[in-house]
Amino acid sequence: MLQWQTMESPAGASRSDARLSGLAAELTEIVGAGGVVARPGELAVYECDGWTIAKSAPDLLVLPRTTLEVSGVLAALERRGVAFVPRGAGTGLSGGCLPLHAPVMVCTSRMNHIVACDFASRRAVVESGVVNINVTNAVKSAGFFYAPDPSSQAACTIGGNIAENSSGPHTLKYGVTTNHVLGLELVLAGGEIVELGGVTEERLGYDLVGTVVGAEGTAGVVTRATLRLVREPQAYRTMLAVFADVERATAAVSATIAAGIIPGAIEMMDALIIRAVEAAFHVGFPADAGAVLIVEIDGLAAGLDERAERIARIATAAGAAEVKLARDEAERALLWKARKRAFGAVGRLAPNYATQDGVVPRTRLPDILRVITILSRKFQLAIGNVFHAGDGNIHPIVLYDERDPDQVRRAIEVGREILKACVEMGGSLTGEHGIGVEKQAEMPLLFAPEDLIVMSELRRVFDPAGRANPGKVIPTPGGCVEVAAPRRQAPL
Amino acid sequence: MNDAQSDKVENALRRLLDANRVRRPQDHEAGVAAIVAEPRDADEIAEIVRYCEAEKIALAPLGAARTLGQIRRAPTSLGVSLARMARVVSYEPEDMTVIAEAGMTLGALNSRLAGQAQRLPLDPRAPEATILGALIGAAHSGPLRHSEGTPRDLLIGIRFVGRAGRLVHGGGRVVKNVAGYDLMKVMTGSFGTIGIITETAFKLRPIPEGYTIALAPFARAADAFGRAREINDALPLVHLEVLSPAVAASVGYPGAFRLVAGFAGNARELEYQREQLGEKLAALNAVEFADGPRALEVYERVRDFEFASASLAARMAAAPAELGGSLEALGVEFLAHAGCGVAEIFTSNELDSTRAHETVSRWRSAARAARGHLRLLAAAWTIRAHVEFFDQPSAGELKLMRRLKSTFDPAGIFNPGCFVGGL
Repeated sequence: MLQWQTMESPAGASRSDARLSGLAAELTEIVGAGGVVARPGELAVYECDGWTIAKSAPDLLVLPRTTLEVSGVLAALERRGVAFVPRGAGTGLSGGCLPLHAPVMVCTSRMNHIVACDFASRRAVVESGVVNINVTNAVKSAGFFYAPDPSSQAACTIGGNIAENSSGPHTLKYGVTTNHVLGLELVLAGGEIVELGGVTEERLGYDLVGTVVGAEGTAGVVTRATLRLVREPQAYRTMLAVFADVERATAAVSATIAAGIIPGAIEMMDALIIRAVEAAFHVGFPADAGAVLIVEIDGLAAGLDERAERIARIATAAGAAEVKLARDEAERALLWKARKRAFGAVGRLAPNYATQDGVVPRTRLPDILRVITILSRKFQLAIGNVFHAGDGNIHPIVLYDERDPDQVRRAIEVGREILKACVEMGGSLTGEHGIGVEKQAEMPLLFAPEDLIVMSELRRVFDPAGRANPGKVIPTPGGCVEVAAPRRQAPL
Repeated sequence: MNDAQSDKVENALRRLLDANRVRRPQDHEAGVAAIVAEPRDADEIAEIVRYCEAEKIALAPLGAARTLGQIRRAPTSLGVSLARMARVVSYEPEDMTVIAEAGMTLGALNSRLAGQAQRLPLDPRAPEATILGALIGAAHSGPLRHSEGTPRDLLIGIRFVGRAGRLVHGGGRVVKNVAGYDLMKVMTGSFGTIGIITETAFKLRPIPEGYTIALAPFARAADAFGRAREINDALPLVHLEVLSPAVAASVGYPGAFRLVAGFAGNARELEYQREQLGEKLAALNAVEFADGPRALEVYERVRDFEFASASLAARMAAAPAELGGSLEALGVEFLAHAGCGVAEIFTSNELDSTRAHETVSRWRSAARAARGHLRLLAAAWTIRAHVEFFDQPSAGELKLMRRLKSTFDPAGIFNPGCFVGGL
């Protein structure tokens, strides 16, 4: 009884629909001449996000400047029964803002003001189009930072982070987006503006803020958010531990955490990635290393060296050939540059690459890495691994050449096999990239039909007509994209 | 429900469960339910739910019956006790995750985890009487929320029985997971109004190597809160409380407002923080430190403080920097988590219904002025019918909440009438 298949019927208008006639002019009235893009050439830029398999440009792009404009736009769309897709910077990695069944794209990039910072209460109120790094830049001088730090943080927006419940290397210690968002201003699909949550840590009634965070834009358009600010730690110690193989490196990760140490971050790179990164950045990774760990701890300056030494001893006991401490801020920055730009470096090794995002319980890391090695041989494709080891969040990078259709087919297939293995080991389909359109077909691996029905119902609480980002997250007959090619660029 | 109806429900339930697992309520339970059933698993709960929907019988989940016992105005027909669902389903120390049935108490769970120097760092009062279902359902927290967060930050997976006896699950057993809608958030703080939680998965944290408490007396609340903010900016404290004089006296420190700051770490970290706190707190006051078992003893007394004689008790949430001023203006007794902007306040005055209503209004205005809200935790029986336990969310928010409730509980049987907006 697969009832859920019939519960989501995208309410999008088909192209050249009469409902779109005169819409551009009507929306221009609301957002001004510079706020509507209707020319196909300009719209092509918006045909995909970081997941480039399926492409579909919107019929219209709207760029509102204020919450009231968003409300006006959505009300106009409601009157015509037209669906929409919200978009931030388009750095998502699962096709979350692909306008599949929605002719209109509502982009928040012009809503990029930091509205207020309240350092005494450690809160910032920002518009949803603010770029992630700009929040930290605005509060740094007062000794604070905004903790979730996706690798795309120089481009991605807070609104996009909220949609995807994004995270980054330092979320091991500090938590993901949902742990840092206390209040939201949300425009529902009909144009109604609602305030959810606020500045306090306590929820009043149902946790609607926590429900909207990670809903992948299906609850409406988030226009403002109240964020928690975190105090900068006094000091950091960043270490590089070199291992002969990934087994020893993962053993070191488990042993560190078992010793009661929660580092700020523990990131792993395997041999393939090490060679690519070394060629690009000359970090000083030994060419024959099988795996490296970047371990960062932070906190009080007092006692930090003791903790670093303890981690070094644990890593050495687990088989590390070498443990180096970054001597200064420049060395620390170089290590993080190597990590955050590893994906770009891989671009040198093959014409194309596809990044997967899966999760396993931390202790199953050696098992999943063994499976990936076996699958790599079986499908005859090189796979590199660079990932958030502390969270068990893997990012296998499959190298291929899109000019060879058989390689493309194998790259897609191997990605699915890896995800299946993650779920079989008690893990998840996605740790931080979201389901979007990419992984809808795999949702039944993780959830029973009843669970998916409940999720559909939850979505309709916010959007009864199904006009906000239709055809995402929950599998639908019309909503799934027939995946023809794997994803390419994927800055993490 | 009259006796004849009770007998009918009792007989029907005896057909669903063994006779010895359907009983009349004991002690606190009487305020929450007229009959108590003790299912052994989620399938039995599903059968109970289907029966209750068909017969329009209201039901509420039961642990120690303390949370709902303090806020329900009248008992529901049926209490679903989770006492027989109290097992650890799986514990993976190296993954630092645990899955446990919702009837297990937080105290029992933490005793089990302590052997691995791990804990679920959620610390409402009386953990040995707080079941995990209540911990999530009421989003209980305590001093450790300052550094470790609240239930919504640590819950990674959930199972519950919803309408039509549907067995629903969300999340999983991994610490990072964005697959599907966040049903954990929907259930956290939902007070049993959507379904009955049967299983919970949590991420765990290490028990720190060393732990010390600093205590300092203050003649004025404003000074205590001001100093609390300074030390909070300077140090990664594990908890930070300001106690009003009556609360301070009841935990063994009479005579003044009391700042209580817990800090943790290795020997060097403890030494440094002790030195810093000594400097920052001692200028005006006699700062005192408690280490080791003595620190734990003080912590537990603060954590377990209960307003036994209170006629009204409430939890105020505010913008953190504005909490102290609000409390001072109200002149109430309080236990404040100063860094979080959350305080429990209470009065022991005998209140008639008019005075109770006025008191709650005054407290609520103060909370709103500090950009927050106020929820009553307990009210004496004599005034319970005359006060609103939950503050009012914004109109738009309440509309969504009503829609959520009617979607997930169309028959209106899950703990009706004691949540936000009368839901």
